[in-house]
Amino acid sequence: MNRSVSHFYPRLSAFICGFAVLFLFASAIADQVAEDPLERQMLDIAKDLRCAVCQNQPISESNADLARDMREVIREQLKAGKSRAEIVRYFVDRYGNYVLMKPPYEGTGAPLWALPLAIFLVLAASAWVFLKRRLRAPMPPPPELTEQDRARVREARRQEAE
Amino acid sequence: MTRLSQNFIEFGHFASYLALMVALLQGLAPVGARLLRIPRLAEVSLNAAVAVFVLTTIGALSLIHAFVAGNFSVLYVAQNSNQALPLFYKVAALWGGHEGSLYLWVWILTLYTVIVAWHGRSRYPAHLPVILSVQGWLMVGFFGLILFLSSPFERLLPAAPDGQDLNPLLQDPGMVVHPPMLYLGYVGFSVPFAFAMTALLTNWKSELWVGFVRRWALIAWGFLTAGIMIGGWWAYYELGWGGYWGWDPVENASFMPWLIGTALVHSIAVQDRRHMLHAWNIFLVISTFSLSLLGTFLVRSGVLSSVHAFAVDPGRGAYILSFMVIVLSVSFGIFLAKGRYQEARESITSFVSRESLFVWNNVIFTAACICVMLGTLYPLALDALYGDKITVGAPYFNVVMVPLFLMILLLMGVGPLVPWRKANPERLKRRLLIPGIVGATAVAFMWLLGWHAHWTAPAAVGFAAFTAAALLTDYWRAVTQRRAQLNEPIARALWKTVAGNRRHYGGMVVHFGIVVIALGLVGSGLFRSEIAVTLAPGDVVEVGGERLRFEGVRELRGPNYTAVQGRFTMIDYGRSVAPERRRYLRQEAPMTESAIDATWLRDVYVVLAEAAGAEKWAVQVYVNPLVRFIWSGGAIILSGLLLALSQRRPRQREARPILAGTAPVKS
Repeated sequence: MNRSVSHFYPRLSAFICGFAVLFLFASAIADQVAEDPLERQMLDIAKDLRCAVCQNQPISESNADLARDMREVIREQLKAGKSRAEIVRYFVDRYGNYVLMKPPYEGTGAPLWALPLAIFLVLAASAWVFLKRRLRAPMPPPPELTEQDRARVREARRQEAE
Repeated sequence: MTRLSQNFIEFGHFASYLALMVALLQGLAPVGARLLRIPRLAEVSLNAAVAVFVLTTIGALSLIHAFVAGNFSVLYVAQNSNQALPLFYKVAALWGGHEGSLYLWVWILTLYTVIVAWHGRSRYPAHLPVILSVQGWLMVGFFGLILFLSSPFERLLPAAPDGQDLNPLLQDPGMVVHPPMLYLGYVGFSVPFAFAMTALLTNWKSELWVGFVRRWALIAWGFLTAGIMIGGWWAYYELGWGGYWGWDPVENASFMPWLIGTALVHSIAVQDRRHMLHAWNIFLVISTFSLSLLGTFLVRSGVLSSVHAFAVDPGRGAYILSFMVIVLSVSFGIFLAKGRYQEARESITSFVSRESLFVWNNVIFTAACICVMLGTLYPLALDALYGDKITVGAPYFNVVMVPLFLMILLLMGVGPLVPWRKANPERLKRRLLIPGIVGATAVAFMWLLGWHAHWTAPAAVGFAAFTAAALLTDYWRAVTQRRAQLNEPIARALWKTVAGNRRHYGGMVVHFGIVVIALGLVGSGLFRSEIAVTLAPGDVVEVGGERLRFEGVRELRGPNYTAVQGRFTMIDYGRSVAPERRRYLRQEAPMTESAIDATWLRDVYVVLAEAAGAEKWAVQVYVNPLVRFIWSGGAIILSGLLLALSQRRPRQREARPILAGTAPVKS
């Protein structure tokens, strides 16, 4: 027990040291490229905007020329110091609500947000009523005995008589 | 190419006209038998079923021949293939466009019909002609559309020297398999549909048809599941945005029949075991098939790309719409008129019972389906009626569907623990104890690790752990019980427990597969890291704990495309990945081919986005945790389904060999 432990630790520490050396070496030889924070901000906004010429794709994912142009507009506006809400409003003003991947909560989008809950409640209520009614319903007569069942009853009676 | 082989297509064209005629005969046969009082006439439909299949196959083979031989005097071939296309994709190009995929649909329908005819010849001969008749009428509807409004046999004279191209996105093994699988699922639901119509029309006793409908529905469900999974897999590695499901209307179109189909395969078990919900199940069968039709037409009518595309070809649009209206009103009309003859024989005994939980399962799945339908059709209706455009994208569906999915995840663990008829509350509490502890531990674990940025992560993982524990403890309880009774060795007891009730344990394996998928969805949906950078050769980029070095690009030449291939070394493993940017002949826009380094824990997904100056490339790297869980969960589901289907019910023969409702003739 003790011996195996004493063998184990030097190996483990050698492994860790080796790994650390490799790690430092690898990071030292290469320039690590960091992401431009502006680009991340741009993509976060682009995710919620629809590419108007594509099929249901946000502009962050589309290769279309229009999407590229829209991404460029977002970059420029971010550089000009505009906020996320301002940029989104800029696109909504030009393309309408169509450009939002998530439909608005009011106006034409309202039914989309109100109906799912209503649908669920209506269905759940009907299921409740159905179960309640079936629960109160009188039990139907027991099913008729099959020939097999009768044979078993006869057999049981015969054994009892013996 | 000789003139004869160029005109071989006309044999196929002629064969499909004949197929339409024979399908009409198949549909009319039992009607004629009834009206003319010649019962034997109904049996014509059996021969007709075989004949339609053979004729439709000749049509399909003539089209495949045209593709393989490069017969560009066929318009559809010229539009969807060219000489440079690899042979594999030439064959698959049959379902690469609108006309051909409708042909594939009807071809699969004739295949199912011939299998049903063979399957039913001794099992349900009395009802077979009516079943085949229903399918015959569906074929007539589809052949009418194919032959008169969107024919793949249309000629292009003089012939084009070479064709255009199959959409490069479709030039992929995943996309070769996806449409046939999906259609085998869609069309598969036509069999339960035909059974349900027959049951209504002939007052067929529920106990005699429920087993067949259950089996056929499970088979169709399996194909649909496989089709959807393969579609997601294809989207994941082919579309290059790092995801597999975007709540796109095209995806929703296949998801709606899946949701109602899932409700059906559960609720049909209640009818089988407890003799209830007959009418509701028929309603579900009709709805599932109608949604399959809706799915086909939504995708194939062009209405999704724009409601106005529907009006560009008014004939086609009007035909599709009227066909749907006829199918819906006839089937629901028959249901309303005769549904009450299919009545329940038993009652609910307790709220806390398996059958009651199945009812709640149906509530959730039906609600989920209606919500998907709302999100898919509402923008179309708004545009068509008011010209007001609105987008319903992934963010909407994620908000609406996730609570429903969580409920399903929980119910999936509780349901199998609750016995039929009436549960003993004390015993149920004891059974829920261990799964409850496991679930709570999982939630605590997620919290302690700080993985709770979004509340759904701990909730979903907790429910998944609960359900997995419930499934396993339930299995273990059955095994120990068996060992106590029979004194068997452990390995034998483990195997025999499953083998003795494959139907139940097959279902449990499916549930387990869903749990695995749920973990994959949580991992890849909520814990994804991504980075978008511009790299020069030698640059290193770090994302989600993975480090990649960009080695540069090289030019590449494929059979029908040229490509730029990038090379990235995964520094910590020494492996490399090579994403491409392809330019297909005859196509304007370049296509991205993402590269994936997959392990069980995460996928590193690299996309070569675009050239950004000399030697520099804009690159996107995603680290998606647990994606492999999703694909393996799909495989687990399908194996569970096969296990459940492997338990055959004892074969019952129907006494009356002649059509129900008509007096037998004396020969």
